[in-house]
Amino acid sequence: MIARLRADTRTLPVLAAIVVAFGIAAAGNATFAQAGTYAAIFAIAAIGLSVLLGNVNQISLGTAGFFGIGAYAVAALTTSWSLPAWLSWPLATTIGIAAATLVGLGLGFVALRFRGHYLAMATLTFGLICVGVFHETPFFGGAIGIEDIPYPRFGALTISGYPAYWFAWALALAVALLTLNLLRGRSGRAFEAIRNDELAAEVLGVPTRRYKILAFAYAGALAGLGGAVYAAFLGIVVPDAVSVPLSISILLMVVLGGSGGVSGALIGAALIGFLDISGHQFENVREVAYGVLVILVVIAAPGGLFGLIRGRARTPAQPVPLAATAPLAVTPPAAASAPLTLAHVTQRFGGLVAVNDVSFALERGTLTSLIGPNGAGKTTLFNAIGGIGRLTAGRIAVAGTDITGWQPHRIAALGVARTFQNARLFGEMTVLENVVAGAFRTERTSFAGDLFALAASRRAEREATERARATLARLGLEALGGTFAKDLAFGDRRRVELARATASDPWLLLVDEPAAGLNARERAALTADLLRLRDAGMTLLLIEHDMRLVMSISERVMVLKFGTLIADGKPETVRNDPAVIAAYLGASYAPGTAG
Amino acid sequence: MLQLLVAGLTVGSGYALVALGIHIILRATRIVNFAQGEFTIVGGLLALTCVQIFHANTWFALAGATLAGFVLGLLFERLVLRPAARSGEIPLTIATLGTVSILLYGHALVPGWGSLPQPLPAFSGDASDALTVGGVSIQIQSLWVVGLLVAALAVLYLFFERTYYGKAIRAAANNPTGAQLTGIDVTSARALSVGLSIALAAYGGTIIGPITLVGGAGGTAIAIKGFVGAIVGGLESPLGCVAGGLLVGVIEKLIQGLPGVSYGISDPIVYSLLLIGLLLRPQGLFGARSAVRD
Repeated sequence: MIARLRADTRTLPVLAAIVVAFGIAAAGNATFAQAGTYAAIFAIAAIGLSVLLGNVNQISLGTAGFFGIGAYAVAALTTSWSLPAWLSWPLATTIGIAAATLVGLGLGFVALRFRGHYLAMATLTFGLICVGVFHETPFFGGAIGIEDIPYPRFGALTISGYPAYWFAWALALAVALLTLNLLRGRSGRAFEAIRNDELAAEVLGVPTRRYKILAFAYAGALAGLGGAVYAAFLGIVVPDAVSVPLSISILLMVVLGGSGGVSGALIGAALIGFLDISGHQFENVREVAYGVLVILVVIAAPGGLFGLIRGRARTPAQPVPLAATAPLAVTPPAAASAPLTLAHVTQRFGGLVAVNDVSFALERGTLTSLIGPNGAGKTTLFNAIGGIGRLTAGRIAVAGTDITGWQPHRIAALGVARTFQNARLFGEMTVLENVVAGAFRTERTSFAGDLFALAASRRAEREATERARATLARLGLEALGGTFAKDLAFGDRRRVELARATASDPWLLLVDEPAAGLNARERAALTADLLRLRDAGMTLLLIEHDMRLVMSISERVMVLKFGTLIADGKPETVRNDPAVIAAYLGASYAPGTAG
Repeated sequence: MLQLLVAGLTVGSGYALVALGIHIILRATRIVNFAQGEFTIVGGLLALTCVQIFHANTWFALAGATLAGFVLGLLFERLVLRPAARSGEIPLTIATLGTVSILLYGHALVPGWGSLPQPLPAFSGDASDALTVGGVSIQIQSLWVVGLLVAALAVLYLFFERTYYGKAIRAAANNPTGAQLTGIDVTSARALSVGLSIALAAYGGTIIGPITLVGGAGGTAIAIKGFVGAIVGGLESPLGCVAGGLLVGVIEKLIQGLPGVSYGISDPIVYSLLLIGLLLRPQGLFGARSAVRD
């Protein structure tokens, strides 16, 4: 479970109790009950946006569009068909949510091309187009909208007035629970990884695009549900009610309450939703105050109100129970092909040829080092193998599968892992969570499984955590399990990254300068770790500058200079190769030349 | 047809100035200011106040509103953009949205402004005065609007190309570190850029005031249309922004002028242009590929 969800999980019962207490207190007060109902309606939509903004780091100003889709689905359908009362609203709502989800998938797909303020603009435009469509379509009642929407009725119970408060909040709290399920599972960890470091997430096998699209769809679905409840409760829908100000208002709720998770969204929505209805005498002043508050929150309290509450009660890093060391389980593919084959790989950036016509094949279960002066193209070659960037020419095959042009997460899914020169850990996740995230490709749970906390999903979650503990134990890192990655010492960062990379039991591991900046003791530990991985059957390709380390552990050394492979062979052969000496020390030092 | 064109250029002048303002702030701070449209509205209202308080003519009000806009811009930079810049791009975007909320609802609270649009006196004669050219009647005010747009562009061109401060601002925007190393005060240059941009917004809100009225809740629409213009014309090119803004105005009026077409359909179509423009112009906007770069 993501550490910051702990506070969320603890807070939810408190918030639920407040909702119940307020509901009981508001029994005789129509205005309060009504304001509370609106708060619940906005909370449903706000939770979706909170996940999108706070957990996946994607902004959306199109919330009102989805809200409108849900509201208009209920309005248009329940006023035009004649179904039994108990079926009418639920069916229309289901259709509305389905429509909002589909549109969300579409918007998410388009939105992948944008980030930051462009994403804000694109989603804002989406919201405006929705309003335009509602406004101009006779089926949706044009500018005057749709009125006389029937209340949902279940037997003798009509959902209006005071009962609507309980109905709306029951839905909102259910949504909060489901969302917590989702965030606690593999999907939530994928979100968190994307938010921390999208590239590292992708390289670990997280299909980042798919999860971003899913987040958009989820936010869309919840906004649609909010709209469906809204239409049934209010009895009338007009285009202006689901326009840009609503999108901005819901965004302000999320930011004010604290984005990410559910508690902040609930707090923000309850506060603003309540003030919106009960604070009529403060019209305009109220909105100005929201604006000022949001700016203050952005500047001084990025975690919002919930962040302020949580910040005071921050729990220290929790120790992770010790786990038995599990043996490495490297299962190389059955095919007899070489683990990695490069054929005439060339990578050009503009006029610069970073990698020039490189070909080689690695043997199974060996440790090969790739050395070369700075700027020789070593990391670029790693990126090329991992699917980062588009190859200019050449083909790359992993265990006989041609992976040229594949996205990084698909290559990772084959069993290829890597570490980065600058140890790209997920800073705001604990060490254990980092390692669990590393095992992403081996976990088999679905989005729906996570959402409804199905037994299979929970079991997979437990198993993944157990495995991650075992991985940490194997590397002697279990004491660090509860520490946030951003708080780690430099040497530990590298070892944790190695743990994360090996958590998915890969059979091909690319390690980029693991020894840089390590002291002698850490270096010895690292050497032992790497050799142990090789002995377990893993194929390793290592970029390293420390020649003593390279020469002592490699079975084979390749030398890259200005993107070209100039030497390839056993360490002692390469060590005495004149071309290699010339590359490192200058031509005059090479044996056989006058000097 | 010609009439629609002139009407389009008139409203387009407002969008062009918003687009240019968005461009200037984007260049200086790498952020899209969502409040640009609201500043345009407030600028027009400031001009109205000048007219009401000093019983001055619209020319004087134009100078007053532009100056007040400049000061407002400096405040906006100092109080909102600069402190929020530390938090990152998305929070900064949200801060400009908070500013939208303040300006949009706040201006209705100001005595004499209110929430309903009001007329601004004409620059010359009566707002309805028209000139008939070849059987087409053109509002005199439209000519003023286009003329004032050209005048502003000329002044801006001279400022950015010929003056030290103008060049310093461009240098600071192009390469903050390099500019800093050559002794340019980048922080001030940034503040000046925002001041200039908001001054432009106020100027734009005033020159179209006699025709489109000032005040009201249309700021977001203006901002989006300005942004559409900037995207269509090229966000990184000042002239492109102006051309794009004018084009958006013309397209809007042409769609509204089509027989049998509902007036309200023009906005969704114009907004769709933004989405299409964003999708078709991957340069600088297409972040997906750079996202998976080490």
